Amino acid sequence: MTTTVAPPGTASTTPARAPRRARRWGDHLFVVPAVLFVAATVLYPLIFNIDLSFRDVGVAQIVTGGAEWVGWENYADQLGRDSFWHALVISLLYTGLAVAVAFALGMALAVYFNQRFPGRNLMRSLLLLAWILPTVVSANVWRWMLDGSYGLINTLLGAVGLVDGDVFWLARPVPALFAVVIATAWSFTPFIMILLLAGLQGIPDTLYEAAKIDGAGAWRRFTSVTLPLLKPVNLTALLLCFISTFKTFDTVFLMTRGGPGEATMILPIYAYNEAFEFFRFDTGAVATTLMLVVPLGLSVFYFRSLRREELS
Amino acid sequence: MTAARRKRGWLSVGGVLITVVYLLPVYWMLATSLKQSSDIFSTPPDLFPSPISLTSYTETVVNHAGIGRGLLNSTVIAVGTTVVSLAVAVPAAYALARLRVRFVALLMLLFLVVQMIPAVNLALPMFVIFSRADLVNSYVGLILANCSLAIPLAITILRPYFLSVPGEVIEAAKIDGCNTWTAFLRVALPVSVPGVITVAVISFLGAWGEFVFGLALASDAGMQPITVVLAGLTNSFGTRWNDLMAVSVVVALPIIVVFVFLQRYIVGGLTAGATKS
Repeated sequence: MTTTVAPPGTASTTPARAPRRARRWGDHLFVVPAVLFVAATVLYPLIFNIDLSFRDVGVAQIVTGGAEWVGWENYADQLGRDSFWHALVISLLYTGLAVAVAFALGMALAVYFNQRFPGRNLMRSLLLLAWILPTVVSANVWRWMLDGSYGLINTLLGAVGLVDGDVFWLARPVPALFAVVIATAWSFTPFIMILLLAGLQGIPDTLYEAAKIDGAGAWRRFTSVTLPLLKPVNLTALLLCFISTFKTFDTVFLMTRGGPGEATMILPIYAYNEAFEFFRFDTGAVATTLMLVVPLGLSVFYFRSLRREELS
Repeated sequence: MTAARRKRGWLSVGGVLITVVYLLPVYWMLATSLKQSSDIFSTPPDLFPSPISLTSYTETVVNHAGIGRGLLNSTVIAVGTTVVSLAVAVPAAYALARLRVRFVALLMLLFLVVQMIPAVNLALPMFVIFSRADLVNSYVGLILANCSLAIPLAITILRPYFLSVPGEVIEAAKIDGCNTWTAFLRVALPVSVPGVITVAVISFLGAWGEFVFGLALASDAGMQPITVVLAGLTNSFGTRWNDLMAVSVVVALPIIVVFVFLQRYIVGGLTAGATKS
């Protein structure tokens, strides 16, 4: 640390050379608790989890330890199971659909609430309520609204003629997946809206006025001005939303527990069940470790798009 | 001029409509919680509760032992998480804004990546580790688990606030006799109070709504946070939707109150944590 480079602005105010190292030492110490904390509560459990995935860990070995090393056996077991691959497919399907819906809605809301009119700031904030509500609460409300016999959704859809009679959304495979997608997208949409609004505010009004003079209609202005200029923001928001949705557990767990059958069995619930329902912490560790590939792989693209967004 | 004003008026009307439709689930939760048991099964459903009945609150919420206990547990966990997160993250964010060495970028990257880890990935090994350390079903265990994700988020949100404190100000304070600690406490911290409030609010909200750690690390009913209690009630209450919605309202209430009063701190912080590195 002897070659610590002072930021350009502070060079003129840097006093005598001697105390410099001591001063920097203090700042380094400030970081130590956080680093230790993250190492102990995140990195250590992750490594511990990988270790578990190579052992034979049943109920008995949880407390006592001493689980036998079995090499790649658990991995072979998981990768050979249809239900694991099924959970991965469902996870990607659920995440992809929820992100698509949330993104389309979030974009529409962002464009609408980017216009100038009285009360728009209040309305924007109010919409964020959907994002900030505990997912356990919103999932519960959606379960009630989607109730087959007395739910509000069937009444509303019935009133406009979209459904006929009682639809038991959470009891049938495709409607159940559709239901958890909608509930998830409902929470994420306002968040996307806020992210995109920040990007929209960076687009100068003069560009829209110029497009208007050139005879571009509202849709044309959206596709030729808004979308291209929002591209870096869009990519960042999409990736962030995909990663966060992929991690989602509560919404699906509360609404369907992965059912009916395995219709909404996303990977986080699959892994949870392995460990906490069937008490196989080894295969659960395999599933969670493999699951990490998706968010970590995408995070590479996320950081790249973040940097591009910062540069532009 | 008047045409423009009329247009803005219509936009406001449209905005109100969108907001009302979008927040229908929130209204429906509240409306259902105020209905009497016989009214929740009327077809078509009554849009407004009549008569307004508070029995779900006065009888179910108040008398159910598990709910009170769950609220207490959640309070302890959320306050604990907030305090520990602040104590660890605030100095770290300050130092990471001040230091100009290569590992700063690396650490910030690490803190961002950590936020992408699904909670189950930590809950599973933590259960085994905590079982051996006798930390399952303990506040300490649950607070530690919550902090694992809260601290990296807090640092990510806070660092930009400290970055906006000019280095010259800190250096000047040191010439005037401050050491690292007092320069931090007396100079950098006071001007970064909004950031600290943002982080406190977000840590609290996050821990209050947290579910996976509570589910995995608190098998004992007496130690479960209110979110896990609520999930359990969905089974035992069955179709008592008015009671379930009343409990949901109670769980959501602290969030809504904090949101209403500290909204300006939340909005900036939520997006900052997501996009700034």
